Amino acid sequence: MSEKLLEIKNLKLFFNKGKKNEVRAVNDISFDIFKGETLGLVGESGCGKSTTGRTIIRLYNATDGEVLYKGENVHDSKSKSKTLEFNRTMQMIFQDPYASLNPRMKVNDIIAEGIDLHGLAKTKEERSKMVFDLLETVGLNRDHAGRYPHEFSGGQRQRIGIARALAVDPEFIIADEPISALDVSIQAQVVNLLKKLQREKGLTFLFIAHDLSMVKYISDRIGVMYYGKLVELTTSDELYRNPLHPYTKSLLSSIPFPDPEHERNRVRISYDPADHNYGENDEVKMREVTPGHYVLCSEKEFKEMADHSSTIKNV
Amino acid sequence: MESILQVKNLNISFNTYAGEVKAIRGVDFDLKKGETLAIVGESGSGKSVTTKSIMQLLPKSNSEIKQGSEILFDGKNLVDLSDKEMEKVRGKDISMIFQDPMTSLNPTMKIGKQIAEPLIKHQKFSKKQAMDRALELLKLVGLPQPETRIHQYPHQFSGGQRQRIVIAVALACNPKVLIADEPTTALDVTIQAQILDLMKNLQKKIDTSIIFITHDLGVVANVADRVAVMYGGKIVEVGTVDEIFYNPQHPYTWGLISSMPSIDADDDELFVIPGSPPDLLNPPKGDAFALRNRYAMAIDLEEEPPMFKVSDTHYAATWLLHPDAPKVEPPEAVKRRQHKFTGGNHTEGEVFQ
Ligand SMILES: Nc1ncnc2c1ncn2[C@@H]1O[C@H](COP(=O)(O)OP(=O)(O)OP(=O)(O)O)[C@@H](O)[C@H]1O
Ligand SMILES: Nc1ncnc2c1ncn2[C@@H]1O[C@H](COP(=O)(O)OP(=O)(O)OP(=O)(O)O)[C@@H](O)[C@H]1O
Ligand SMILES: [Mg+2]
Ligand SMILES: [Mg+2]
Repeated sequence: MSEKLLEIKNLKLFFNKGKKNEVRAVNDISFDIFKGETLGLVGESGCGKSTTGRTIIRLYNATDGEVLYKGENVHDSKSKSKTLEFNRTMQMIFQDPYASLNPRMKVNDIIAEGIDLHGLAKTKEERSKMVFDLLETVGLNRDHAGRYPHEFSGGQRQRIGIARALAVDPEFIIADEPISALDVSIQAQVVNLLKKLQREKGLTFLFIAHDLSMVKYISDRIGVMYYGKLVELTTSDELYRNPLHPYTKSLLSSIPFPDPEHERNRVRISYDPADHNYGENDEVKMREVTPGHYVLCSEKEFKEMADHSSTIKNV
Repeated sequence: MESILQVKNLNISFNTYAGEVKAIRGVDFDLKKGETLAIVGESGSGKSVTTKSIMQLLPKSNSEIKQGSEILFDGKNLVDLSDKEMEKVRGKDISMIFQDPMTSLNPTMKIGKQIAEPLIKHQKFSKKQAMDRALELLKLVGLPQPETRIHQYPHQFSGGQRQRIVIAVALACNPKVLIADEPTTALDVTIQAQILDLMKNLQKKIDTSIIFITHDLGVVANVADRVAVMYGGKIVEVGTVDEIFYNPQHPYTWGLISSMPSIDADDDELFVIPGSPPDLLNPPKGDAFALRNRYAMAIDLEEEPPMFKVSDTHYAATWLLHPDAPKVEPPEAVKRRQHKFTGGNHTEGEVFQ
């Protein structure tokens, strides 16, 4: 197994903690991200994926738990230069390309913001060249550099956000639905690009998305979240071949297929958390059902899943 | 079937510092009563601009709907309506779910009030009735704890939750035409499925016609009766959902279908349509897709292809459908689908203008 780049340990993030309107957006989750891998994160809308990403990158202070990056706790206070370096190595591509681009800045300045902040270009010419190269990398062209965000379509803006994140040569990128606003050919282009960057520079990704066929394609492992909890974590092949948590099953049964006939005959499995029927003494926690395949379950469910998985293996 | 909305010869330009961006270049389509028409196509091809023009919501400062453009609804050309007349249409008859939920919600207003307001204004609801209806709609779109969350502000919700609030706003007035610009892109597949069912039920109940813009061809296969494919400010192919998925004719549509990963995809690179989108400041002569099209012929660089008729419901703008064009093999991803096609092709090469 390759080395751990990030360790997320018992992470919690509660909004409005202790108040009547408390939201337990992230409620005690633990997982590792290995160097050079793409970890996909999927789950119900509002289950806490973006909040997890934002807490890892320190846009929020964790309510509890810790995030270790190369063994160092990211939430500890650090020297100024260390903070700056840290900000460079970890980048986030935001879910909402509209809200995350300053409408009063031209595209070249948006993309070059990080280049300037970290002094990555020595001359003006070098800065322009870097911006042009980045624009091309994400499938835009140099003519776009002098324009403002509102002059772009949704998908074009999303690519500006991607170029901005790539500009500072990061090691770890949290990509929060980086491709859902793009047409399928450009999605393919961006995904090929992310994979290429990963191969060439050993980049590590946390890839948050709803399009499960793309998540499966790009991810080495996938984590499934439901209501602030991680409910299943395993390799992407295993997740699709042998989903064990009932929420994962429901999710997989809802993927729309680009085939009208298939859609007319689709059968969905629904998920009701009450069906677990957990008793008071049931300890519900992440358990390793088969090597590397973790599921949130009770001891009883664990035994059933383990039996089930062994029959699958034997087929 | 009766048409509820007709778009004819729509041409729209933006004036930018660099010159005139010809974003929409002759778009024609009909929306039939009770149908769902999906619009798919390249990012930047004009899907949002087309539908915003129906709502007359393009920025006044730099956009221009060209002379001769018609958007016919209820016997009126919407292009000619005054702001005041248009506001009535927007509040009641045609509503839109925007691509960017945050810009269509007022950040300083509680969400319940945002849903209730148009009801009070256009439907003469009392305040109490409107708030009850707002709560009902929030339940309908599957927002958890609607009773408490109705009193919260947009920033307190996740991306997908905001999108559901926007959907609730759009459905509030039971519109005749619902324009949905990527309404489910921010949603997980289970909630997406719920929202799609919700829209279908609404359609059955009140015969709403829906224009559904999305990049997700799985969603298109699920919701659409017909599909229009846009490229470079034009509709390049239109047909029933089966015709577009099982018997596509335009090389751009072939490219789209080839770019999707299949759920059992292996580790190969994904197919990407080569080249970059046409420059709408100087739209190319001939077929705007020619330079990216490996099936292009000499004529593609000279002359724009007309819409050729494939069947009574299926049209495509590609010279490949001309009777003199050589027969070509579509890409593998398309060939794999063709056996599912049960419809027929029209006498080939008939020009439809
Ligand atoms: N600033 C905030 N104040 C209060 N609650 C919040 C805030 N931001 C997010 N939440 C809540 O926290 C929960 C998790 O939100 P988050 O944005 O992480 O979800 P998500 O999994 O990214 O969803 P989506 O797929 O819809 O983007 C949601 O219930 C959301 O309403
Ligand atoms: N306000 C504006 N000023 C200048 N150009 C604009 C403006 N709005 C849109 N455009 C241009 O018009 C073209 C069509 O944009 P539109 O938003 O309709 O694309 P789209 O098909 O909806 O793309 P996406 O799938 O990315 O949302 C694009 O080239 C865009 O850059
Ligand atoms: Mg999110
Ligand atoms: Mg758009």
